[in-house]
Amino acid sequence: MRIEKDMKLADVIHHDFNLIPVINRFGIQLGFGDGTIEQICKEQNVNTAFFLLIINTYHDPQYFPKKHLQSFPAGSLVAYLHNAHEYYLEQKIPEIKKLITKLTEESDEKHKDNFKLALNFFEEYERELTAHIDREETSVYPYVVELEKVIETGATPKKVLARMQSYSIADYEDEHENVEEKLYDLKNLIIKYLPSVQKDVISYKILRELFDLERDLREHARIEDMILVPKVEAMEFTIRKMS
Amino acid sequence: MAGKISIVLIEHSYLLRAGMESLLMELPEVQLTEVFDGSEKRLAEKILHLKPDFIMINPKSVRDSLNSFIRSLGNEVPLTGLIDENTPPEIRGKFKHILVITDSKYDLLNRMHKLIGTHYTKKSDSHESRPLSERETTVLKHVTQGMTNQEIAEKLFLSVHTVTTHRKNITKKLGIKTVSGLTVYALLNKVIDMREINQ
Repeated sequence: MRIEKDMKLADVIHHDFNLIPVINRFGIQLGFGDGTIEQICKEQNVNTAFFLLIINTYHDPQYFPKKHLQSFPAGSLVAYLHNAHEYYLEQKIPEIKKLITKLTEESDEKHKDNFKLALNFFEEYERELTAHIDREETSVYPYVVELEKVIETGATPKKVLARMQSYSIADYEDEHENVEEKLYDLKNLIIKYLPSVQKDVISYKILRELFDLERDLREHARIEDMILVPKVEAMEFTIRKMS
Repeated sequence: MAGKISIVLIEHSYLLRAGMESLLMELPEVQLTEVFDGSEKRLAEKILHLKPDFIMINPKSVRDSLNSFIRSLGNEVPLTGLIDENTPPEIRGKFKHILVITDSKYDLLNRMHKLIGTHYTKKSDSHESRPLSERETTVLKHVTQGMTNQEIAEKLFLSVHTVTTHRKNITKKLGIKTVSGLTVYALLNKVIDMREINQ
């Protein structure tokens, strides 16, 4: 389904409730009433076209944004991605960690060490994800915001040009490392190799969270590759022509 | 993408393409990786590059070049023919599986479920479901001790290539890709104990 501006946001959420954390990243919270997407975006001061671009990309893996949809401020995209990062690090990861800790506590004495291994493994994943996100937040995003400023003011500082030559967004696409592998491993450890606890009630919750996080991260990476990268490439191109 | 079965579709008719897309949407375990209309240059090469689990093709979409197309794909990926009642048997016979496009939705989905099932059973008959061999267990042990492929090769008097193959097979059998994941597995299954990884 293609989500359009004159659809009611409530209907869209009924159709795909995985979009709840996504609308949260725009500052839109549940209890938003009966309005259409356009009305609610206006109330919340959100760029409607950009909102639609993101939720459609997120909702439909086959959706491929067209070139003319690239005319939104790079700043809003960076803000969106930043909020998503916060959601992963401050909500999702602690939630899963709490569940794995609980699993450890409720397991038989003789299995406790096994679950501690799983917990250590997850903490290692957390460190890797945090490092990856830090790199984006401190290196890639400031560069993106800087490029937009250059285009707005028309002045090209040497610093930016030098950076464009030494590091362009194409490199970012290459180094966009795969943070999914460890999640995949953890799922298999729980499904195949760790002992069962409490009729699997907690394990099921953990797996649900892991599948959910994995899907969210996948869509996040897709938004970066399909929206952020082309946007920045277009800005880099404009700046090269300017100078 | 971990876990999903990837399908490539070759179909020149817009309506049939859209119909197949919407049918595949009803199967959550499946992902339609790419759609071609059959007229693309070097089609087989492009498809092999995508490494799909299944290829679905309407033989009419590649017309006369069907034979050379099938040949250039090799035997790696099972071909599913999208055919109708008038498709001659010699063309039907070229496909591992068939879908009859005039069937009802119910029948089509049923067929699709069976088809997807073959993907999993194929996996479990092969070597992948057996436990690790003695050699693989030794390689696993060294991997968890932080040794590189080169170091393992020297230690076990194997070529680096052989070590790489062992590692690929270990990952396939266990479903675990990272070194730290393999370490957890090895500890859980007493292939190594805590003291050994700290060496």
